[in-house]
Amino acid sequence: MGKFSSLSFYFIQSITNPASFQAERINRVFNSFNIAAAAMLLLVTFLVIFISVKYREKIGDDTEPKQVSGNNVLEAFMIGVPTLLLAYFFYQTIVIEKAIAPGVDKSQQPDVIITGHEWWWEVEYPGSNVITANEVHLPVGKHLLLELRSADVIHDWWVPQLGNKMDLIPKITNHLWLDINMPGDYIGACSEFCGAQHAWMRIKVIAQTERDFNNWLASNTSNGQSPLDSLALTGEKLFQEKTCGSCHRVQGTNATAMVGPDLTHLGSRQEILTGLMKNNQENLFKWINHPQDIKPGAHMPDFILDKDSVAAIAHYLTQLK
Amino acid sequence: MQEIVEIPEPSSSFPGLGVSSDQGLLQWISSVDHKMIGIMYLFVSLLFFVIGGAEALLMRIQLALPMMHFLGPETYNQFFTMHGTTMIFFVAMPAIFGFAVYFVPLMIGANEMAFPRMNAFSLWITLFGGLLLYFSFLAGGAPDAGWFNYAPLNQKNYSSNPGIDYYAMGLLISGIGSVTTSINLVVTILHMRIKNMKLNRLPLFVWMVLVNSFLLLAAFPSLNAALAMLLMDRQFHAHFFNTTNGGSALLWQHLFWIFGHPEVYIVILPPFGILSEVFPVFSRKPIFGYSFIAASSVGIALLAFGVWAHHMFAVGLGNTVDSFFSASSMLIGIPTGVKIFNWLATMYGGKIKFTVSMMFAIAFLIEFTIGGLTGIAFSIVPIDWQLTDTYYVVAHLHYVFIGGTIFGLLAGLFYWFPKMTGRMLDEKSGRWFFWLFVIGFNATFLVQHMLGILGMPRRVYTYPDIPWYGVLNFISTAGAFLMGISMLLLLRIIYKSAKQGKIAGDNPWDAYTLEWTASSPPALKNFDELPEVTGTRPLWDWKHPDKADK
Amino acid sequence: MENKTMMKLVVGTEGMFFVALIMAFIYMAYNSGFEPYEVSQLDIKTTGLFTLVLFSSSFTFWMAEKKYKNGDIKSLKIWLIITILFGAIFLFGQGEEYVRLINENITLSGSVFGTSFYALTGFHGLHVFIGLIILLIILILVFLGDFNNSSSNVISTVGIYWHFVDIVWMFVFTVVYVLPKFTKI
Ligand code: HEA
Ligand code: HEA
Ligand code: HEC
Ligand code: CUA
Ligand SMILES: [Cu+2]
Repeated sequence: MGKFSSLSFYFIQSITNPASFQAERINRVFNSFNIAAAAMLLLVTFLVIFISVKYREKIGDDTEPKQVSGNNVLEAFMIGVPTLLLAYFFYQTIVIEKAIAPGVDKSQQPDVIITGHEWWWEVEYPGSNVITANEVHLPVGKHLLLELRSADVIHDWWVPQLGNKMDLIPKITNHLWLDINMPGDYIGACSEFCGAQHAWMRIKVIAQTERDFNNWLASNTSNGQSPLDSLALTGEKLFQEKTCGSCHRVQGTNATAMVGPDLTHLGSRQEILTGLMKNNQENLFKWINHPQDIKPGAHMPDFILDKDSVAAIAHYLTQLK
Repeated sequence: MQEIVEIPEPSSSFPGLGVSSDQGLLQWISSVDHKMIGIMYLFVSLLFFVIGGAEALLMRIQLALPMMHFLGPETYNQFFTMHGTTMIFFVAMPAIFGFAVYFVPLMIGANEMAFPRMNAFSLWITLFGGLLLYFSFLAGGAPDAGWFNYAPLNQKNYSSNPGIDYYAMGLLISGIGSVTTSINLVVTILHMRIKNMKLNRLPLFVWMVLVNSFLLLAAFPSLNAALAMLLMDRQFHAHFFNTTNGGSALLWQHLFWIFGHPEVYIVILPPFGILSEVFPVFSRKPIFGYSFIAASSVGIALLAFGVWAHHMFAVGLGNTVDSFFSASSMLIGIPTGVKIFNWLATMYGGKIKFTVSMMFAIAFLIEFTIGGLTGIAFSIVPIDWQLTDTYYVVAHLHYVFIGGTIFGLLAGLFYWFPKMTGRMLDEKSGRWFFWLFVIGFNATFLVQHMLGILGMPRRVYTYPDIPWYGVLNFISTAGAFLMGISMLLLLRIIYKSAKQGKIAGDNPWDAYTLEWTASSPPALKNFDELPEVTGTRPLWDWKHPDKADK
Repeated sequence: MENKTMMKLVVGTEGMFFVALIMAFIYMAYNSGFEPYEVSQLDIKTTGLFTLVLFSSSFTFWMAEKKYKNGDIKSLKIWLIITILFGAIFLFGQGEEYVRLINENITLSGSVFGTSFYALTGFHGLHVFIGLIILLIILILVFLGDFNNSSSNVISTVGIYWHFVDIVWMFVFTVVYVLPKFTKI
């Protein structure tokens, strides 16, 4: 983090702390807009205060002031100056739009396909057959093309430090260009209201150097780790028996459904439920034991499982590295 | 001397209602008098303001600290939906209609609205729509998809409780009321002006109401059509917005915002009109640039129909479309700026009286400029791509709604209360209210700009403990409670002043327009006869025949 | 005067309502796409005939209005009755078409085309229906003698509405029946 000044450390997730080409361009125009806006606001505030003080009614003076009702030269300034200012920002708008959101050639294969679900993110890397969820690994220094889709309602992809948002809309395929220029963890959130748990549809982007990224990708092509001890073995059996597989996928097992997040490498994620909790056995236990208490409304029902079974499943899941 | 004009009484007025008989509540319920209806509109607005405000306070408690468990997600989502819907449709609109219906006839020297019974119908159907909307709480859950209710979240398969049906029906019904009131106002203004009050002598409040009514008549049908389609989807399984069987998610957004953007100007233009009355009276000067203020409103109204997609910049409509709507949105800043500067020029060189009404008007200049400038920030597409659907939007919309609409309405309340009740709204405690409200308002919403920049999305029922989120949200909650306290104070001031406030007299502010020639409160028949109108400030002209406006 | 201005405003705002519905129809056609088979079930010839009947009713109403202005109450009654009949025939034609389409399994809840078609034509039909009720009320009042001598503007006010309903149908007919013959709606 040495690169950050102490101030921006506190504002780390701010749009004014850009970590991509796109965010940087936007931040620059945001800064110049803020200066212009501040000047405008200061002008209005100054006039308000100055006029209020200078022309306040003085006690004892009950004459009427001079009756002035207009001045066309002044009106021309009121129209002209804002117009010039706005013309500049319109020019900037067009230039930046073009720079950060150039058109997309439909035949081009995206680097990542992100599908929004009520309330989690499905992440697919075409080219390798890696599928994961919620934590999005991306390489630094590449001109990435993200493809955005929705499985149900409208969601919206937003990581403030990485720049512009884009909606994920059912039946429509959207695209987003992204050039990350610094490794690190970036947080964001779904920014289109999408139902009960919109608040917990957060995003984590893990930006890595190209080498780290490729290593990660390679390690994630493998099947789910088979159980390492007998408890995990029980867990796996329960997982397959107790309908978990009808919603979740663990590559290399009979569980192939994609209704819920892919769990093949769940153990290697930092958090579960899009950042609601740290990823550890205890929290997994809590979640599987009573999903509706932890994330009310989530599309994973409460199950009737005894504590030992839940513990076994949770133990099994932690081994899926 | 002046020619005296007799004011006719519309034939269909006052059916079967004795002028002096006191029939208590029944008199109000059966009334078709535009003044009683206006006051009832204002009460409807106040009632819903307390409800919508209470919802906001409960939301603010939930948001005060990270990871709170005060309201669950379902309740929270219903509350912010109801809060937004209530504030726009059942607070801002009825308050505007209340002032319009009360003062338009008085300001143009008429004794009634053109269609007094339709006027009563509009009021009651508006109230009924609001009650229907609130009945949803008892019927299985309030609407929970936000005030703009995006598809396909508004479909049965994603929101199965009946709340959204009530939303659609409530807004359709109250929408009929809004349309009929607007028709009534336009006809009144076009046909019932006192002799010689040409359109270029119309008080600016009446001008804005006129423009606004046309805007409303053009904008509401789009919402009504969308709501009708939504009801067909939900009740008869039609396919408009249901993406799982061929419907479109974006059609709703287009139809809604073609209505929705004009709607936000619908709730700001009449307050602009109120301010255009307040500034000259308390600066003791005529309005500066009358024709520019009137013309810029027409400009705003026309532009309002060409900007709707600025709410959809993140949808992926493409750079060409986005740029077009960016330009049109920026353009709206110009006529609005013209108004701000003309009001400043009105104050310039005057003798400013700092009444509470004028204080709200002056505070408006600064607060609304803040809100307007953040609006311009959104019209710069790349900035919107970062800030849309964050707390920056929440900050923008409250600065324009409260710093704009509500400040304007409060200025109007303090200005016209003496006319409506015959008593002054207490100026001394009014000052307390002013400062509490202004401080509370800025504390609540200024920090929300920061939250948006720091990446906090709107419409989240809770948030993780990210640096600054807790502190800023806590300040915001504290500010909201300050506003709550100030609102309680206002209720007390209104109650006490109506009972025992200082007697006002016909024209306590030495104001210029015709309503101030009627008695305070005006008799059932507003005027018997009036001198001839020769300019925009008839009372000034009569008082200073030597210095009359040209 | 007031009444007429009011009716013009009503017609204006209702016009915007139909603009929204027609835009929605076109949007659905291009965005979600209609089944060509379903579109081909529309019978432009029969509906075209009924359309002519509706347009004629505008003419007959205009005649009624003229007779009324001349104080010819008897002709007023006759032309009014013809107008109402024409309106009713149009609605009958629409009803018949609905029955036929529903037998073809084209329903409001069946497809995107069904949804768009019934919503647009249905709302227009509703307006014709409301117009008929108003005309009936006027007819009854005419028979009761309410319009015998006064120079009321009620009839010409209602006329604004009735002509409006016809004009809207012109657009609806063009968009729903005619355009698909030429473009790929
Ligand atoms: C009273 C209501 C009101 C008013 C008056 C405005 C005024 C404006 N609004 Fe606002 N707006 C809302 C209510 C309003 N808005 C609401 C409720 C939403 C959110 C809806 C939702 O999502 O829930 C919204 C959202 C919103 C968005 C979408 C944000 C998003 O969701 O991504 C945009 C985008 O362009 C926008 C723009 C503007 C602009 C350009 C103006 C302009 O009219 C402002 C013009 C005024 C000024 C500019 C200030 C005065 C001028 C000067 C002092 C002159 C000098 C100025 C310059 C040179 C710039 N608004
Ligand atoms: C005219 C419009 C208007 C007004 C006046 C207000 C007023 C207020 N609003 Fe509102 N607001 C909207 C229009 C408005 N709002 C809209 C359109 C939305 C978007 C909704 C959506 O996303 O769909 C919104 C959303 C919104 C949010 C964002 C919710 C979210 O995105 O999750 C918040 C959060 O702080 C908020 C807060 C407030 C507060 C604290 C007030 C305060 O100013 C309220 C002050 C008033 C009172 C406090 C009333 C007085 C009460 C009493 C006297 C009784 C005392 C009762 C108790 C103590 C229980 N509003
Ligand atoms: C009806 C479908 C369904 C079934 C059955 C189901 N889940 Fe889930 N599961 C989900 C959904 C949907 C989510 C995402 C919840 C969210 O974040 O909103 C999820 C999330 C999870 C997560 C967190 C993943 C992450 O990365 O955050 C775990 C772990 C999990 N489920 C385990 C299980 C286990 C174990 C079972 C069986 C006992 C099970 N699930 C059965 C649908 C299901
Ligand atoms: Cu997904 Cu909000
Ligand atoms: Cu807008």
